[in-house]
Amino acid sequence: MRLTAKFARPARLAAVIGLALGLAGLAGPAASASPVAAAHSHVGWLRLAHLSPNTPAVDVYLYSFGNPSAKIVLKHVAYGTVSGYEAVRAGEYTVAMRGAGAPAGSKPVLSTTVNVAAGKTYTVAGMGPASGLRLQILKDRLTTPRGKALVRVIQASLQQHKVTVRTGRNVLVRNLAFAAVTPYKTVSAGTWNVRAAGETGNAAESIHLAAGTIHTLVILDDPGHLAIDNLVDAAGSRVLPAGAVQTGFGGAAPVPGSSPLPWLITVAAGLLVTLAGIARLRKSRRALHVR
Amino acid sequence: MTKRAGRHATASRRGPAVPQRRRHRRLRPVSKRGAAAVLLCGVLAVGTGACGLALASQSGHGARPAGRPSLVPVPRGDAAPVPQPSDGEKVARPASLIIPSIGVRTRLIRLGVTSSGALQVPASAAVAGWYTFSPRPGGIGSSIIAGHIDSLAGPGVFYRLHLMKPGQRVYVRRTDSSLAVFRVTATHMYLKAHFPTADVYGPTPTPQLRLITCGGTFDPATGHYLSNVIVFATLVR
Repeated sequence: MRLTAKFARPARLAAVIGLALGLAGLAGPAASASPVAAAHSHVGWLRLAHLSPNTPAVDVYLYSFGNPSAKIVLKHVAYGTVSGYEAVRAGEYTVAMRGAGAPAGSKPVLSTTVNVAAGKTYTVAGMGPASGLRLQILKDRLTTPRGKALVRVIQASLQQHKVTVRTGRNVLVRNLAFAAVTPYKTVSAGTWNVRAAGETGNAAESIHLAAGTIHTLVILDDPGHLAIDNLVDAAGSRVLPAGAVQTGFGGAAPVPGSSPLPWLITVAAGLLVTLAGIARLRKSRRALHVR
Repeated sequence: MTKRAGRHATASRRGPAVPQRRRHRRLRPVSKRGAAAVLLCGVLAVGTGACGLALASQSGHGARPAGRPSLVPVPRGDAAPVPQPSDGEKVARPASLIIPSIGVRTRLIRLGVTSSGALQVPASAAVAGWYTFSPRPGGIGSSIIAGHIDSLAGPGVFYRLHLMKPGQRVYVRRTDSSLAVFRVTATHMYLKAHFPTADVYGPTPTPQLRLITCGGTFDPATGHYLSNVIVFATLVR
């Protein structure tokens, strides 16, 4: 009996302290930060365009590769129309064009396969003359040099076979042929007088190219004229703030002394004292009995 | 010398010889009361410690309630059409922010950058602000809205921001009273040393929103939190 009591007490104590420490582990502050995770880890973006001047309106279908039901259908897309970007899961897709109003099950006029990578953007455009219409996949950009804008030109005018485009006095591209696309060019941020000049027609437009923005200028046939369509491929902050954001004063933060350790020690000490008290109480009772 | 003195001292302590039995009798009731007192002290200490532990284990977030989510209704009115790629900067400036799920309704002040190049934050913890060098909410690109988690005295406008879950809605009312509706895609916490500048301020091809506040551990030495909580959202209509 005495032996078990002798052993039992320290064992009980150890168990109690162990429990208290275990509680402390639970109560400890949660890990303060999750690892950096990309916000759009599995998503890419796709937009669809009709840029063939003498091709009638079409219906554009987007299929996830191998899936016969269309993910997106754009009805009656006429020349000069560009959709907004659609976020899609990274993977292979099929873009098909049918004449406007043609049954969804009919054979498409033309189709192409596009492989969408996560975090990338693409424009799939019907380009060229109606007789030689093809779907062209353009890789769009999502980053600019710091404080600059990016601009590229799509020449979609059949009336003017070659077009020269200027931003202010700078030549963006000279004699760009019909259905051709320039690479992106870095341009200083600002509002530019953009002029497109063909042999017999031209167009001018005041275009704001903000820092951190990416643009595609589409040169279009307007009956008797040229037109410039300013597409925003992507936009970000014009000025990139440095570092993190100081959005707290600590008034609702746990107080500095709120580490659980002092409390734990209090609990442990209290338990010890309690046990000691119990022990003394028993001893005194036993002594009374003895007497 | 010392030994002898010690022995002498022991002897003198024993000096007033009290009969053993009497001493026992006089001490026993005291010792029982004493034991009870010790027991009481112990129980009190355990109780105090447990309370302290319970309080300490509650993080700052949620320790004090701020705002009652149910009190902020979903705003009414027509949502503005999703901008087409050629719309550029045609959407109006933001005027107010409404997040029913976490009880936020605030006007939006204008924020720039500080002299050191950091994002300016509202002087008051009760309002949020729109970063004027970021796209307007609903325009193409990611619009930046920042607000405090707390003031020196208590919870701030974005006290509950870390609770936002994917799928929840965020509404921005613009100066032309049009409404931009965003859907939360993710809520992440980043150590400030690893702030994801490109993900937050970099170009995006669609209209998006970033809500920024502080979170994680508060460092009383610097007076700043060690982490930022960022809500990523995308325009639904």
